[in-house]
Amino acid sequence: MLWIAIRMLTGDRQKFYGLLFGIAFSTLLITQQLTIFVNLLERGASGVYNVSSADVWVMDPVSRTSDVAYAMPSTALDQVRGVAGVEWAVPHIRGQASVRTKDGDLEGVAIIGVDDATLIGLPKGMIEGSTDVLSQPDSVIIDDVGAARMFPGASPMGERLELNDQRAVVRGIADAIPSFTSTVVLYTKYSQALRYVPGTRNRLSFVLVGAADGISAKELTERIEKQTGLKAETRDEFAQGGVNFIIENTGIPLNFGITVLLGFIVGVAIVGLTFSLFIRDNIKQFGALKAIGVTNGKIAQMVAIQAGMVGMIGYGLGVLGTVGFISAFSNNPTFKGFYIPWQIPLISFAAMVLIITLTGWVALRGVMKTEPAAVFR
Amino acid sequence: MSGQNTTTAIRTRGVTRDFSAGQNTITVLHGIDLEVQSGELTYLVGESGSGKTTLISIMCGILWPTQGEVEVFGTDIYALSDTELVNFRLQNIGFIFQQYNLIPSIDAASNAAVPLIAQGMDRKHARERGVAMLEKLNIADQADKLPNQLSGGQQQRVAIARALVHEPRLVVCDEPTAALDAKSGRRVMDLLREVGVAEDRSVIIVTHDNRIFDLADRILVLEDGRITHDGTDMPEDH
Amino acid sequence: MALLPQNLSFSRRILPIIALVGLAFAVFFIWRGLPDRSLSEPDQEPARATGALANSSRVAGAGLVEPSSEIIDIGTALSGLVTDLRVQPGDYVTKGQPLFTVDDRAARARIGETNAAIGEARAAIAEAQTAQRTAEAQLALYRSVEDSAAVSRSEVIKAEGDASSARSRLQLARARLAAAQAALSSARTELGRLTIRAPITGEILAVNIRPGEFVSTMGGNSQPFIRMGETRPLYIRIDIDESEAPRIKLGAPALVSPRGAADRQVNAEFVRAEPLVVPKTSLTNSASERVDVRVLQVLYQLPADAEGAEQLFRVGQQVDAFIPAVDGENNGGGKTQETAE
Repeated sequence: MLWIAIRMLTGDRQKFYGLLFGIAFSTLLITQQLTIFVNLLERGASGVYNVSSADVWVMDPVSRTSDVAYAMPSTALDQVRGVAGVEWAVPHIRGQASVRTKDGDLEGVAIIGVDDATLIGLPKGMIEGSTDVLSQPDSVIIDDVGAARMFPGASPMGERLELNDQRAVVRGIADAIPSFTSTVVLYTKYSQALRYVPGTRNRLSFVLVGAADGISAKELTERIEKQTGLKAETRDEFAQGGVNFIIENTGIPLNFGITVLLGFIVGVAIVGLTFSLFIRDNIKQFGALKAIGVTNGKIAQMVAIQAGMVGMIGYGLGVLGTVGFISAFSNNPTFKGFYIPWQIPLISFAAMVLIITLTGWVALRGVMKTEPAAVFR
Repeated sequence: MSGQNTTTAIRTRGVTRDFSAGQNTITVLHGIDLEVQSGELTYLVGESGSGKTTLISIMCGILWPTQGEVEVFGTDIYALSDTELVNFRLQNIGFIFQQYNLIPSIDAASNAAVPLIAQGMDRKHARERGVAMLEKLNIADQADKLPNQLSGGQQQRVAIARALVHEPRLVVCDEPTAALDAKSGRRVMDLLREVGVAEDRSVIIVTHDNRIFDLADRILVLEDGRITHDGTDMPEDH
Repeated sequence: MALLPQNLSFSRRILPIIALVGLAFAVFFIWRGLPDRSLSEPDQEPARATGALANSSRVAGAGLVEPSSEIIDIGTALSGLVTDLRVQPGDYVTKGQPLFTVDDRAARARIGETNAAIGEARAAIAEAQTAQRTAEAQLALYRSVEDSAAVSRSEVIKAEGDASSARSRLQLARARLAAAQAALSSARTELGRLTIRAPITGEILAVNIRPGEFVSTMGGNSQPFIRMGETRPLYIRIDIDESEAPRIKLGAPALVSPRGAADRQVNAEFVRAEPLVVPKTSLTNSASERVDVRVLQVLYQLPADAEGAEQLFRVGQQVDAFIPAVDGENNGGGKTQETAE
């Protein structure tokens, strides 16, 4: 009978493809919009995730995100180093500066100063050059998206910049996830960054901390906060803080929430209408089958397999479309680092199951209520 | 043409059926008592609204009577559970609908084999039986075609094949000749008699087509929910 | 549509396969695309407290390596041109060893001059002595003549005067000799002052003069001429934030590593804490920098026998240090460390 059900489903190509399109389209809409939404939000955490080795970030109590930070006196580093359970701690400076480009344009850049000795705080990978170039005087490493923005169509290697009346030479390109504002980022040594960032008395933005074996990052943050009076957050907490900052300060969640909701509604509408139309068209056949002697349970199975099949194919195509979309744009700097969190296909899957179950159930109710006697009318 | 060992195919006792239409209750059948013998071609004749569809539905186990009982081959079908009743229909009753109600997306042979498939027979085997049945009805050459590629008459033959493929003991047929000219109508009736009526099988035909009244073994006339005539011929006033 | 089983139906066969393959591909793509957010170990070893300090309360500080004598900036007592440079950076000199000499020709000329004056004085002395002897012999002769008529009174007086005068001349000549000798001594001292010698035994850390350059007692040159200090052993001066200072366990050894070689840690012995709390040395080198952080400076002695310490620590180098903290302020870590030791 299930074979007959599938035949019934695919028999009318127009309706079948209509159903597929509806499901694939709403899957695509939900998955793709959620993906972009999540990735945009995670731009707020990119500054944190770009630093791959710090378990804990220590900052002034009023600092909020990796870009909204209030500087601390330099002795904060030693205070943090004095906390038991801190395996290592290095200084980290994040500042804003203006750079004069070759064309004479002024461009706001973020200067990130990493620990001189260990270079902790650099992104994990390099696209061009090696991190060793920072040992040369006046070296900076530019992030790849920033490089594309600041030097369109040309290699930034060896370019000279003027930062706070100081000379800086681009000697490397880092593979980093851009920030929410896609600011050009220049990485350099801490001591160098102090010269590039127009000075205030306190410069130390963050202290990056590695936790000793046997102590969790969470535990360590409490210890650091208690002993030093500074604010300490684990990497994930701080990343979440960056995301929350964007949620609180932009209209993104609302806008994307509406789009996702629209996708869902459109999906329900298309799928629901097509599916119930399909069932209604077949209601005579279902009635005949019921009269001939097919139980309601079997009928339910038939509707279920029809819904399941069309749902599975539509969902598969929708997810494939999303994947295609993301991979097609992966080379675009705007979408650099975009990925599909594994939860999102599951969410859209759940949404699809919900849509299909809902419309399938409504359709099935029509079939169930059909009196077999109706076939004689 | 009743054989020597005729048995009672259907026996109804005091079958009453009410329909509620808003606040009012309309009684469609008023205590029908009748018996249908196996091996007979029985006509159920009546104007529309006379209750013949209701009666036939009740007799073949797809509509519950408000009162009364129905025995089909000795089984009180409305004493069965829902599932048992569905199964009883599947095993014992063949249906030929006026609109045929074939499944448009499967071919003729598969359509003919639907009852067997529903009984759980594997598809290939069932289809072979369906083809064999179509052969009996002389349209085996159309076995691979979809219903909408067939003419109306061919579709009806497929519908007849579907009704007979699982060898039911009772065949119910709704207005088989309504859409046909007189000649085709008679041919269908001949066919039904030829392959449908068997010694242990009963065929009930619901019709008001006076062109074929002479082909019946027995004619039951229903008027306003009551049997008004029971005989081998039609009364004069019809 | 033909319904032979071997006929592939796009809707029923190919499409589900496409969907399944697509799903599998999507799963693969999503799995591959997930960002690598795993924590990684730093490439280069950062400074870390190890051993018993790793998980107990401690105080951290940054410091500089310095000679145990602190750095001595050698000056000169006399201005002049450098004529001879006897040492180069890295030399280990003993106390009193000449380091460099300033042009001594003037001093030497004066020595010659005074020597001549001494000779002259000596000659004058001899001449005066001769004259005195002659005068005294004359006088004695006159005195031995009893006949007063034989020698006139005036002759006697004259002889007495000659003798007296000769004595005076001798005294004068002696005084001139003494003066000349004093002048010689003075010239010799000056010559000695033109050779600059090591004030202590120690290592030459920097030499900022070359022969022919002019060194002035006024300085003038911004750099010290020669910097030296006792580098056996080396000391480490660690800055401790004043807010952390009360926690420090004075007397306990510190765990020290140089910048850039954090994996090479040595234990340094406590020497003393400076009694004066000073403003923190600025790291930004910015003249406008305001400093409101004061630091306690604590001195530690690097072990002389530490493996490779010679190469590891150099004067002026920045180091990271971890010092045990006094117990009980924060957690039980310090106590367990105590019992463990």
